[in-house]
Amino acid sequence: MTETTRSYERFSLARRIEHLIMLLSFSTLGLTGLPQKYPLNNFSQAVVLMFGGIENLRSVHHVAAIIMVIGTVYHIVILGYKLYVDRIQLTMLPTLQDAKDGIQAFLYNLGLGKHRPQMGRYTFEEKMEYWAFVWGALVMVATGFIMWNPIAATRFLPGEFIPASKAAHGGEAVLAVLAIILWHFYGVHLKLFNKSMWTGKMSEEEMLHEHPLELADVKAGKDKVYYPASVLNKRRFVYLPVALILTGLGLYAVYSFVTMEVTAIDTLPDAVPGPAYLPQTATPEPSPTPAIQSVDLTWESVVGPMLQQKCIGCHMPNGAAGLDLSTYAGIMNGGKKGPVITINDSANSRLVIIQSAGGHPGQLSAEELGRIKTWIDSGALEK
Amino acid sequence: MPEQEIVIIISCPWKCNEISEESAMSMLNQKNRLRLVWVALTVIAVGLTALTAGLLARPASAAPAPHQNFLATTNDVCLACHGKDGFKIKLDSGETLVLTISGDQFGQSTHGQNGLSCITCHVDIQGYPHPARTMESIRDVKLKYYTSCQQCHVEQYNKTLDSYHQAALAAGNKNAAVCADCHNPHTQKPIAQLSRSEIPTICAKCHSGVYEQYKESVHGAALLDEGNPDVPTCIDCHGVHNIGDPKTVEFRLKSPTEMCGRCHTNKSMMDKYGISTQVLTTYVADFHGTTVTLFEKETPDQQTNKPVCFDCHGVHDIKRVDDPQKGLAMKKNILAVCQKCHPTANIENFTDAWLGHYAPDVEKFPLVYYVNLFYQFLIPGVLGGMAVFVISDIVRRIIDNRKGGSH
Repeated sequence: MTETTRSYERFSLARRIEHLIMLLSFSTLGLTGLPQKYPLNNFSQAVVLMFGGIENLRSVHHVAAIIMVIGTVYHIVILGYKLYVDRIQLTMLPTLQDAKDGIQAFLYNLGLGKHRPQMGRYTFEEKMEYWAFVWGALVMVATGFIMWNPIAATRFLPGEFIPASKAAHGGEAVLAVLAIILWHFYGVHLKLFNKSMWTGKMSEEEMLHEHPLELADVKAGKDKVYYPASVLNKRRFVYLPVALILTGLGLYAVYSFVTMEVTAIDTLPDAVPGPAYLPQTATPEPSPTPAIQSVDLTWESVVGPMLQQKCIGCHMPNGAAGLDLSTYAGIMNGGKKGPVITINDSANSRLVIIQSAGGHPGQLSAEELGRIKTWIDSGALEK
Repeated sequence: MPEQEIVIIISCPWKCNEISEESAMSMLNQKNRLRLVWVALTVIAVGLTALTAGLLARPASAAPAPHQNFLATTNDVCLACHGKDGFKIKLDSGETLVLTISGDQFGQSTHGQNGLSCITCHVDIQGYPHPARTMESIRDVKLKYYTSCQQCHVEQYNKTLDSYHQAALAAGNKNAAVCADCHNPHTQKPIAQLSRSEIPTICAKCHSGVYEQYKESVHGAALLDEGNPDVPTCIDCHGVHNIGDPKTVEFRLKSPTEMCGRCHTNKSMMDKYGISTQVLTTYVADFHGTTVTLFEKETPDQQTNKPVCFDCHGVHDIKRVDDPQKGLAMKKNILAVCQKCHPTANIENFTDAWLGHYAPDVEKFPLVYYVNLFYQFLIPGVLGGMAVFVISDIVRRIIDNRKGGSH
């Protein structure tokens, strides 16, 4: 059979742009997401650094997520248009036939079947891909929302849903990224280099290999139903407000998603209150070691013998100034000019005053006088 | 000083009983006056020689090398005045400086036991009179002499040069602690004889507010009431000698692994108290800890406001998590902590988002456990299935191509 040069349009420009946007946002999400799941890994840390730190990385992840959600909103609105206005066939819906096709393909691969399955516009591989994406998007958007707005989430859900969302989000991420690499890349890049999502066209030979049933429908003119323009316009007229409402709702949802709550403050949590320097009350001067003398300082033990040495040469019974310093009674009686000892008041005791003035024939030393003073102030005890 | 006994022999040639009193006196006044003068001069000369010899024989009173068992008498010289009770002077600031030092206490101190003399540290004092006093306040006195410590304690002194106290001092804060504020050089016992329980009381001298909190905390109460050897004292967290500023980014970011984590991941220690050693790994696995870890590893000079251990558990007022009043196991307590950063979170439900340092299992946080389990099956299941198909597809296509392409 000669090669025809005919090509068939598979993806319009709009679809291709949509796919490109999804491709870029998905890759960005994966690249900025997986290091958050495995932060201690060296490669992860290199990626984090590349984005300028974990906070920046998270911001990029959020932006990519918003783009993907907007892309999803667009997809839903355009799907509604295609279904309602264009009345396309639901070629992406999985059917029992797809299961059969899968089994047939596998059996053929194992050498247990005669032919590969012949499939239509979307093969079982592509349907798996699409619906896995739908499932993944639902999980990621829901869990992502919960983690992005934990305070709002816990108004409706038990708190445990937050760490559970983190677990699901991470698990789904790993599954999605690996599935893309394993299933998608094999199917469109390795098995055959499928340029249709780039050029929008498939050649007849490719159509024959990949989507023979669709090719047959196209050749038979049965792939599309053509409606008159008036019918289409009426449908468009109905759908436009629906589309606007859906778009509005979708964009509003994204906006509130992003701005719903201020989860945390920007600043550091409270520091240690109070001043650092708060000295204890300084101890007053250390009290002097207790004067042991005052315990034993009596006339009998100290004062009497001390005065005996220096004083009783003159101050004996009937001695100078009538003052007898040889006995306790004598010193306490005093002399002609009155008492020489004022108990507890050494400053006003005549003996101290005279001795402090100095020049007395029997002069006590400063230390001895000090002892006398202490003795007087302690009560001038006899024993 | 060695004394020489000087014996003066005066020969007396006159027989005094043979002469009258008058003539005896006149004889003294004449001839023998000269002899008496010579004798006196001899006595003075010999005496001066002896004194000089004695003085020169004494070693010079320069500052002795440290740790030399210097003559105890040197300290006695100082203690002759400074050992007296009630010895004090008034400084320009109006404060009274007590100059009494207990000789007994010093003797029992580590410096005294090592035979240090007063002037080892009071290097500017050689004898009496002392050099003119320039210190205006008691603080100035402490600040004047602390550099003496460097003579022997080089390592510790050098470490203090890096400390926050030293930086504060250099910036003009005279209240910042110097060596003598923590170690009274006259009474300090050998460190090995001191108990750990004394350490907080030393820091308390200036940081009494912190001490009051620490006393009531789980660590402080265990240390001060029970003498528990496992709990940290001030210096275990803040370091000693090179105490840094605890408000720095570095301190904050390193605190989970290098401060709290040192003990709280030590199984033999934590098992004694039934405390989990998973606290650090569970913290790092969660959002807060992941962020702090990444900051610490990649940009350690960059501040992050995500909490570290002490933001939630308290700084000096850490209580047991099951403390009946303040324990974080109680939802209302941990909610109050969460609200420090999440002021709009006012439902106790919110606190369940934190796994409480537990790894999720069937009993604690079963939802998380089952989600994890689900993916543990789903991922290998789906990818495994895909891989099987893809490999079979590859093989089949290669075989078919070799055979000449049937499909």
